[in-house]
Amino acid sequence: MAAWLGRRLAYALLTFFGITVAVFFLIRAVPGDPVTYHLMQSGRGLSAPPEVIEQIRRTHRLDRPVTVQYAYWLADLARLDLGRSFVDRRPVRDRILEKLPNTLLLNGAALLLALMLALPAGIFGAARPGHWFDRASGVIFLLLYSLPAFWVALLLMDLLSVRLGWFPLLGATSGNYSDLSGFEKLGDRLWHMVLPVATLAYGQFAFFARFTRSSMREVMGAEYLTAARARGVGERRLILSHALRNALIPMVTVLGVSVPVLLSGSVIVETLFAWDGLGRMYYMAVLARDYPVVMGMTVLTALATLAAYLITDALYPVVDPRVRVGGERS
Amino acid sequence: MTPGRQAALTSPTAGLQRGWASRLAVTWLVLVALIALGRNFLANGEPLLLRDDRGWSSPALSGRPSGERSPDAFTLRAPVAHSPNAVQIDRRLEAPSRAHPMGTDELGRDVLARMIHGAAVSLAIGAAAAGIALLLGSLLGALAGYYGGLADWIISRSIEVLVCFPFLFLVLALVALFRPSVMTLILALGLTSWTSEARLVRGEFLRLREMEFTDAARASGARDWRIIMRHLMPNAIAPVIVLASFGVGSAILVESALSFLGLGVPLPTASWGSILSAADDYMGHAWWLALFPGLAIFGTVVACNVLGESIRGALNPKGK
Repeated sequence: MAAWLGRRLAYALLTFFGITVAVFFLIRAVPGDPVTYHLMQSGRGLSAPPEVIEQIRRTHRLDRPVTVQYAYWLADLARLDLGRSFVDRRPVRDRILEKLPNTLLLNGAALLLALMLALPAGIFGAARPGHWFDRASGVIFLLLYSLPAFWVALLLMDLLSVRLGWFPLLGATSGNYSDLSGFEKLGDRLWHMVLPVATLAYGQFAFFARFTRSSMREVMGAEYLTAARARGVGERRLILSHALRNALIPMVTVLGVSVPVLLSGSVIVETLFAWDGLGRMYYMAVLARDYPVVMGMTVLTALATLAAYLITDALYPVVDPRVRVGGERS
Repeated sequence: MTPGRQAALTSPTAGLQRGWASRLAVTWLVLVALIALGRNFLANGEPLLLRDDRGWSSPALSGRPSGERSPDAFTLRAPVAHSPNAVQIDRRLEAPSRAHPMGTDELGRDVLARMIHGAAVSLAIGAAAAGIALLLGSLLGALAGYYGGLADWIISRSIEVLVCFPFLFLVLALVALFRPSVMTLILALGLTSWTSEARLVRGEFLRLREMEFTDAARASGARDWRIIMRHLMPNAIAPVIVLASFGVGSAILVESALSFLGLGVPLPTASWGSILSAADDYMGHAWWLALFPGLAIFGTVVACNVLGESIRGALNPKGK
């Protein structure tokens, strides 16, 4: 176990370096840098005197070789310092921590909703293959899975926000949020969450429901279920207790893979609904060539993904006692 | 010919013959492809054929505007007599009518003409990106699975690095940082989405390289490259075709999302996603800008996914 953990941690560290090196060098290899962006923003255009450009480059260490810049960045990272944003000069760590709750709220709610609906839908379909519910849900899952999220968001906003005025169009809270009482604040938050959560959840719902159904079907053919049925175990108990427990095993992996999305957020939904979260922040940082913010988000998502994979693999023997750590079946 | 190869060649089509859904999907895709190929004949503001005092000419194909014409000149016009980029500022945001069956956009351009020309962009990017992912993924997967050792180690670690980054984050960064163009989009989508193909082919190769027919090929003096391409790949490729079919759909989705965010195909080139981005600005006023391109994207992605499903079903009849 200790040897396995050590090897996995070493791999994770290696992967982490691979990612940061790749992104660090990639964003510096492309045309345009934060200096040109800064000058455009401040209205000085590209006609700024060379000494000014040189000075800005020096403060951001952009005049040093890329390898030296990376070494500096790594040294800062070791002290848990992600640097300061090129755009508003605030520490990247503060900016990430500030947006994190919004993103967690939105994506957590969507994931939870999707799972709560998907499990029963998948189980019910698998319990009666060929039943009208199973066939109809198969088609619906496929259609939902193919629906472009930004189009759905657009139609929902057009119909329910602009035309009918039922839901707020943009943002995570109303303008007068700070004046509201505690209970009203909660209501305001929930009211703002309805459309973005629905947009995020339907695709995940379709994915999880299909997955639940297929892993249930795979288990349903097993001989131990026939044996249980022969022993007189009731159909309900057979499905919910005997089959489901085994069908949920592959679910652990799929859930583990989707956890990092909770942190990285959804670029499209957050941008469309002006939801002040990490996905939108990353999108704007990429456009502004805000290297420290892009790197900060890279570190966050990479760590989240690696941790999720590691935990998933470590949990596997707990969920399925036949598996030993390291992935082989005994 | 090995039995596996026979199965790979015959069963996908056998699956397509079953079921109206897959037939509908194929019809839709063929139709969109034909529209994309014939876009200059279907939607063009210039006449396809013109006969005036200088004889026969085709302004639509030659690209030279016909300019002033005598009223008695014979003209054959395209079914949609508008060019996708012809701006008519006095006819902006008009609802669908006889002259403009899908309405006009914020610059008075004909939406139907832009839809027809946008089909080419969406299909080309979808097919090319999925093609790159298929080629790259199966090649790297084959090398990793066949040789094992260091090659496997390097390729597997690269997959891990790539998978650790949210897909859209990566594509967004690539497209935003480099100059957006059709080529950038194809490369950004293709170079980031080959990992599942590679994993699948690697797994198949790990299994196949231990089989007797591989030993037989090696014993008869075949070189590694020949064993990989002629003996193992045909047996491993069938399930990857399924992934590629889903890949086309997902590439079309991501392209339209990027165009929607303003990071896709550069303007004024029409793309389904970029028509939709105008709908965002005129929400509540111009439903036709949202409806038609959205339906086109949805229909095409559904068709790709149905196709993938039915190929999968044909390859694995017991999987239902």
